[in-house]
Amino acid sequence: MLYIHLTACISPQSSFPEASLDHLQRSADNKLRVIEPLYEGLPQQALRRMAKVVRIGAGAALPLIRQAGASCLPIDGIIIGTGNAGMEQSIQFVQQIVDHAEGILSPGDFVQSTPNIVGSQISALTKNKKYNITHVHGGLAFENALLDAAMQVMEHPTHTYLLGGVDEIGTYNYNIDFLEGWYKKEALSNHQLYERGTPGSLVGEGAAMFLVNQQEQGALAGIRGVATLHADDPAPVAERLGWFLDNHLAEGEQIELFLSGENGDSRLSPFYEACEEILAAELPIARFKHMSGEYPTASAFALWLASIWPGGADLPGHMLKRGALPLPGGETSEPGIKMGRNVLIYNTYKGMQHSFMLLSRSFH
Amino acid sequence: MSKVLVTGMGMISSIGATPEENRGALIRGECGITRSSTLPTRYAGVLPFGEVKVSTDHLKARLNMHGPGITRTALLALYATNEAVSDARLNASQLASFDTALVSASTVGGMCLMDELYQDIHRQSHGSPFLAAYNAASIGTCLQSAYGIKGIVNTINTACSSSANAILYGAKLIRHGLARRAIVGGVDSLSKFTINGFNSLHILSPETCRPFDAGRKGLNLGEGAAFLVLEKEEDAEGKKIYAELAGYGNANDAYHPSSLSGEGDGPYLAMKEALSNAELRIDQIDFINAHGTGTENNDEVESRAMLRLFGSPPLFASTKSNIGHTLGASGAIEAAYSVLNLTHQEVYAGLHFTRPIPQTMLRPVTEHKKIPLRHVMSNSFGFGGNCTSLIFSKA
Amino acid sequence: MDTVQLKQQLKQQIIEFLNLTSIKPEDIRDDQPLFGEDEGLGLDSIDSLELIVLLNREYGIVIRDPKEGRKVLVDINTMIDYIVKNRTK
Repeated sequence: MLYIHLTACISPQSSFPEASLDHLQRSADNKLRVIEPLYEGLPQQALRRMAKVVRIGAGAALPLIRQAGASCLPIDGIIIGTGNAGMEQSIQFVQQIVDHAEGILSPGDFVQSTPNIVGSQISALTKNKKYNITHVHGGLAFENALLDAAMQVMEHPTHTYLLGGVDEIGTYNYNIDFLEGWYKKEALSNHQLYERGTPGSLVGEGAAMFLVNQQEQGALAGIRGVATLHADDPAPVAERLGWFLDNHLAEGEQIELFLSGENGDSRLSPFYEACEEILAAELPIARFKHMSGEYPTASAFALWLASIWPGGADLPGHMLKRGALPLPGGETSEPGIKMGRNVLIYNTYKGMQHSFMLLSRSFH
Repeated sequence: MSKVLVTGMGMISSIGATPEENRGALIRGECGITRSSTLPTRYAGVLPFGEVKVSTDHLKARLNMHGPGITRTALLALYATNEAVSDARLNASQLASFDTALVSASTVGGMCLMDELYQDIHRQSHGSPFLAAYNAASIGTCLQSAYGIKGIVNTINTACSSSANAILYGAKLIRHGLARRAIVGGVDSLSKFTINGFNSLHILSPETCRPFDAGRKGLNLGEGAAFLVLEKEEDAEGKKIYAELAGYGNANDAYHPSSLSGEGDGPYLAMKEALSNAELRIDQIDFINAHGTGTENNDEVESRAMLRLFGSPPLFASTKSNIGHTLGASGAIEAAYSVLNLTHQEVYAGLHFTRPIPQTMLRPVTEHKKIPLRHVMSNSFGFGGNCTSLIFSKA
Repeated sequence: MDTVQLKQQLKQQIIEFLNLTSIKPEDIRDDQPLFGEDEGLGLDSIDSLELIVLLNREYGIVIRDPKEGRKVLVDINTMIDYIVKNRTK
């Protein structure tokens, strides 16, 4: 099992976990943009050349690395998942090529155009010369990074890794997905995201970072399993969820919360409904895309939410789709259910890539 | 943990469309880097490139892929993957099983369609057929759907070490029991994007590249693809076995976005970690397929790192002198060349070398030689300091 | 435009082109090294390529060999000397 010890997230809702999630920050122009913090500790020399995706990635990661350093926990590697880091700089470089007819071009955009820019900048800023890799498989980029971290700690049981998922809304890369029909054409605010029944979602962005290792003691949460699948039909997805739960839950063990990646796109609803159907009818369901918006590594935001959720009714009301959450103090409407123990996250990206993550919030 | 074996290979480069064609060209010391380029760039005919001598239309016909939205990058990847899958004799039920993984890499991806991309980002009404092709995962997604892969599918991008890391990740999936077999590799096609990018950094050589030569003037860009089939030892019984993937090392130079540190910490640590992962001593490495791009920075730093780790380095050479730097494909193509070294017990000549770098005085192999080889190391270093070394061993 | 104005303009252009948001033109001395962490502005090898692009776009100067560039890109004084002698616009 992979245990999460520290986590930080820069999202459209808040910059760090201290901020309350009860009040929903609103989208503007159909976009959920991150609230950027003051980047203390990011050197000006480095900041001046950083694209937003690098700024938010490094901005979320560095405080964790510093905190780990303060408690003498070395970081044995940096494992990043990203769907679109480098894309905006790539497009700016394309613009230069066209504008200057392949003439004398400024190399800054090109150097920042590869997706490993986030992980490599974090490594350069912290002089970390260890394992360093960037997973870019779209909506499964973060899940593959998570799997990679799990394999690393199996090989090196004493190691601690920085694991993260990060993506940005680019001026231009938004246009490409918009043309392909992934975002809503009509003006819509995020508090109405699930009401329309039309195709498309709202675009979002964010950086969620985690320090993970194999030590149970002092952990915030443990990741019991992750599974991924490519499919364009809900049936095999539901079937795979059944297999996933059979494999990871003990006999009679239950899930206390289903965190669903529903994004308001009518075409993707059948996938979420198919999964809901095989889960217990009284299982509370919560949603998060009205907070994060849709982007390839939005599942990292979901994992962050699940790992900081203190359990019980402390989940913001605007997240709840169905059911009642157990009350604080372990009292539940259904006798026998332990409070907030297992959280199941299901997410699909574009109805083609699917992932399940099972997280145990209190595992003692 | 199970041993990870190479049971299939497919590759295409500027010197051949099969592993055997590539081997023949390597033995003859052929160079696929030419000026006769028909690329849509102002540098066509000005700078030399390692272009695959098969047209996009021919690839489409050969692969029977005529749908809209198919890029040259995807075609090269499909071509090499087809060869690898049939070489390893993977059947349809194996391909569709949950324990078959696919890990690919590409740095250019859909950026080979620069002009289409430019129009799409400025268009508000309707897009080109290539909208799904620009993202970093497009090649992996295309291969996944072509073979109906249900197991773990991933795309890795660590710039020029991308496909070495794709091989590393596939091997880890097998070692940890998350897959029984993995199709791993990388691809890149020549594009106006990368040509102008490397040109803006002033590291494209106006002449054929000369890895490790004192008078080297930079790198040449090339294109190609290579995919390997990796299987766990228990499943490979009775199959043709090319080599064992014995170990891997991954480290970051943590120094500069586009050049390596003076002492080559990243390359040194990646090679060192690969040795420890393979449980080998420095004197057991018989040959190194070096990263050897031909740039001033890389070749000197890589030499220093080899000297630092090995004291007296083993035989080495760079096949980039034959095919240029194929970026996202280079780690996989050079892994395939390392496998050829082992299966045929031979090393190939590094081309265009005359004088060693005065600071390091290392000389690459300059002739084809039959010699006994047990363990071969393959180096790949990328922008952002991402360094990876793989070690293949005689099966 | 006299040399004083030209220097002021060049400093402004360098700040904008390299996104040196934390400094003002008057913070850059004419003889301050552009490169190097301690005394200098802390620019690196990518910045030197960017400055070659700046000289091309603003003053019509073409420097093909980055080694030639290193001789020009020492400080504001050396850049101004080169611009005055070689500018085509």
